[in-house]
Amino acid sequence: MPISDPDKLISKADKLTKLSLTRWSADWRNATLLYEEAANLFRVAKNNEKAKEAFEKASKGQEMLSSYFLNEKIRPWDAAKHMESAAALAKELGYWNEVTDFYRRASELYMECGRPQPASDALAKGARALEDDMPEAAVQLYNDASAILEEDGKEQMAFDLYRAATSVYIKLEKYSDAASSLLQLGLAADKCNATNSQCKAYLGAIIIYLYAHDFKQAEKCYNDCSQVDAFLRSDQNRCASKLLSAYTEGDIEEIKRVVQSSTVSNLDHVVIKLARKLPTGDVSALKTDAGKEEEEPLDENDLT
Amino acid sequence: MSVIDILTRVDAICNKYDRYDVEKQKDLNVSGDDAFARLYASVDSDIEAALQKAELASKEKSKASAVAINAELRRTKARLLEEVPKLQRLAIKKVKGLSTEELAARNDLVLALPDRIQAISDGTAAAPKQAGGWGASAPRAEIKFDSGDLFTCIEAVLNNGQFDNEYFQETETSSQFRQEYEMRKMKQDQGLDMISDGLDTLKNMAHDMNEEMDRQVPLMDEIDTKVDRATADLKNTNVRLKDTVNQLRSSRNFCIDIILLIIILGIAAYLYNFIVVEALIPSVLELIFRLPLKVKCWSSSHVSLKLFVMDQLMLALLLFVKWEVFLKKHLPLQCAEVKKMKTLPNLFPWRSDVGFFLL
Repeated sequence: MPISDPDKLISKADKLTKLSLTRWSADWRNATLLYEEAANLFRVAKNNEKAKEAFEKASKGQEMLSSYFLNEKIRPWDAAKHMESAAALAKELGYWNEVTDFYRRASELYMECGRPQPASDALAKGARALEDDMPEAAVQLYNDASAILEEDGKEQMAFDLYRAATSVYIKLEKYSDAASSLLQLGLAADKCNATNSQCKAYLGAIIIYLYAHDFKQAEKCYNDCSQVDAFLRSDQNRCASKLLSAYTEGDIEEIKRVVQSSTVSNLDHVVIKLARKLPTGDVSALKTDAGKEEEEPLDENDLT
Repeated sequence: MSVIDILTRVDAICNKYDRYDVEKQKDLNVSGDDAFARLYASVDSDIEAALQKAELASKEKSKASAVAINAELRRTKARLLEEVPKLQRLAIKKVKGLSTEELAARNDLVLALPDRIQAISDGTAAAPKQAGGWGASAPRAEIKFDSGDLFTCIEAVLNNGQFDNEYFQETETSSQFRQEYEMRKMKQDQGLDMISDGLDTLKNMAHDMNEEMDRQVPLMDEIDTKVDRATADLKNTNVRLKDTVNQLRSSRNFCIDIILLIIILGIAAYLYNFIVVEALIPSVLELIFRLPLKVKCWSSSHVSLKLFVMDQLMLALLLFVKWEVFLKKHLPLQCAEVKKMKTLPNLFPWRSDVGFFLL
């Protein structure tokens, strides 16, 4: 194309696509080519607004092509790629809603191609882009992405996603959600026999519960996890039991010592930060609670 | 010969001729009759030997050999102590040729023997006498259980029947040693802690690497399949391309090409033949031949000059017409042209050959 002015390209492409009396069916193929070129030129010229529009139109063009020519399997792929570029540009421009929409659309297109891997990748990219500004949406995207991977049976790839979701939850201070996502990580790791990641995930969950000052929950979690063989035999188990016993005794020094140990230092960064801040609140209160519980059964025995 | 050699030789000669040394033999013989003297002499020599060994042991660097020598010394001492009562009995016996003073002296000698035997140091400190019993064993480079301590203890018990307080008093050296030991242990502990930290990190990294590898394996398998497919496609394409190229250059097509070329050349030659050989050249030749004839006629009758010129003009016209005809692709002469040509000879009634030329 000798015409180098992207605006002209866009107008030409628009003319090709607009239906009128003389034109009964839109010539999407050429139009899409023109849109792509225009979008690239816009990107080079750093005219993000126009570039984004151009990418949108190009992607729509690809979609139309795919609906007309059903045997062309490559088309949704190109459409998805354009969607992704449009989404990236939207991120630069700061249109967060559009970012989510574009990335979701891109992932749907990838699924149409029958490629779940790039679909979840697209969602993950979207989530990463939104982490700072719209964390809830980001975490939603992360969860969707991990769901896609789990369906496909590729849990290995989901580890990173779970970890990222956990860190976002912790930033949002939703500790129970964070712990639950770590437990999901543990579940995924169990399926792949990734024992180290699994044990680390469980230990992280226990630490998060302790940080949230939810000792009962932490104990429950510990008991649940002890059911798992791999966890039972691991270093992390010993560390967790030490931590919990230190908590029941109210021994702050012991807690600090356990936290400084290398087992905890091998966990995720966010979890380490939480652990270093342990013990939160009143550890002695937990001790008295535990003491009181012991007394009650005795009373019952006395009565009977 | 050097002095040393002389001395050695002298010694050897003396030893050889000791047998003939009457004085010495007399001394020896004196004790030969006397059992006591003999025994006493043997005990004496044993004590001397033991003393020498004790000296050697004290100088000995290797603890093991020192301990062995000390053990031997103790055994010797025990044996000698056993001999002492025998000597005592022998000492009391009266032997001929001995004065009473000598008898008494013998008794004293025998009594002095046990002390001398005990005095042989065998590595065990005479603990009741010395205060720093334990201290003597303290400054040691390695921690080793020396049986000497035990013996000392047992001896003390057997001899004295009681423990002295001084046994267990720590000397400066021993406490220092203990301190050093503790310091070293602490340092070792520190070092071991660091090592364990490093090992923990390594273990974690190794586990993570293991999991990462497990993750990569199916991806690599996928890549493998895809690349295999791509290679197969490439091979296929290559073979097809080769076939196509071969077909293009095959001998059959080549022959057809040559034949067509020949045909085209033949046509060209034919055309060339027709134009040049058949039409043009004869006309040109005619023109050339006619010229001398015309010249001859003209020289004969200048009247016919006008005729000659008209002749030539007519010939030119004729040629032109013929050329026109040929240009019309050698078509059969049209009626008009034929008529035109047929009318022309009437212009030259006096010329009969032109008609032949025309038709």
